[in-house]
Amino acid sequence: MRHNGSVTSTSISPATHVPVVNRPNTVAVGTIVWLGSEVMFFAGLFAIYFTLRSTSPELFTFEANRLNVPFALVNTLILVSSSFTCQFGVFAAERLQPRSTGWKPSQWGMVEWFFLTYALGAIFIAGQILEYATLVHEGIALDSNAYGSAFYMTTGFHGLHVTGGLIAFLLVIGRGFAVRNFGHREATSAIVVSYYWHFVDVVWIGLFLVIYVLK
Amino acid sequence: MRANAVLFWILSLFFGVLAVIYPLWGILEADYVEPAGTVALSLTSILGAFVGFYLQKSYNTQGAELPEDRSDANIDDGDPELGFFSPWSWWPIVLAAGGASVMLGIAVGFWIAIIGVFVTVIALVGWTYEYYRGYFAR
Repeated sequence: MRHNGSVTSTSISPATHVPVVNRPNTVAVGTIVWLGSEVMFFAGLFAIYFTLRSTSPELFTFEANRLNVPFALVNTLILVSSSFTCQFGVFAAERLQPRSTGWKPSQWGMVEWFFLTYALGAIFIAGQILEYATLVHEGIALDSNAYGSAFYMTTGFHGLHVTGGLIAFLLVIGRGFAVRNFGHREATSAIVVSYYWHFVDVVWIGLFLVIYVLK
Repeated sequence: MRANAVLFWILSLFFGVLAVIYPLWGILEADYVEPAGTVALSLTSILGAFVGFYLQKSYNTQGAELPEDRSDANIDDGDPELGFFSPWSWWPIVLAAGGASVMLGIAVGFWIAIIGVFVTVIALVGWTYEYYRGYFAR
């Protein structure tokens, strides 16, 4: 039907009943799906570990008992605490506050919290390097036996992930400094980096339980 | 969105059930729990729950159905801001060149990897700050 002058009504009446939808953030959903694939990456590493445990139990028990559990526990606590500081940074980013308004932690912005998180993550990595150096000194190396390979592959790939997270924190902090008007786009990058950081943290808790507690 | 979440929960449930059956089957057949498959099935179940939980959470905070999930919606109802998409960029190609040089360097001669690391760092920073500097600064 055409509007040729013989009709008086409009042919399209726009729908007014469609409500306002809080559309899911595509960056956040994409990050979660990617982290899902990371679950499967670490599944392969966990599978190596459990297979070794079931096929060579004597080697496994002997080598696992040489690990320094209290040291790793302290390191784990440092990494877990960094997840909390990271989340406070996200809260600051969500109220669109990049910088601090005072010295008190309750007045800190995203940048300050993420610097603290970076420091804690860097301490974790430094602790892991120290642990590696000690273990290699004691004769557990990547090429010493199957246990060494499995240990360094799993913890090493996790360490690389933490290092990647540290670089991501630096890039997000840089955005906090570079941007004139801190908006939802900057908050989104802070939030997705925190997703990644929490994920890597949870993977470490899993690795810690499997490697140091379960033995 | 609801259907997306439900699909992932179904996958999670399916692999969760298999993660129980698989080791039991191993015990019945050979008196041995095969660890690699058990770990893979369990974590596939976690993978489904992980994505399903997040989609469920997003759906719950949505407030209403997305226009693309409604049979009575018009095209222009689904026309909000979906996010920021770069119209074009050279940085992904530079980053690919950096990553390729690192891998090539590890394979054939380490000096190439050192150059590759520098290219990768430049590309990462360039890509991250492409819309934060110069003409596009915001």
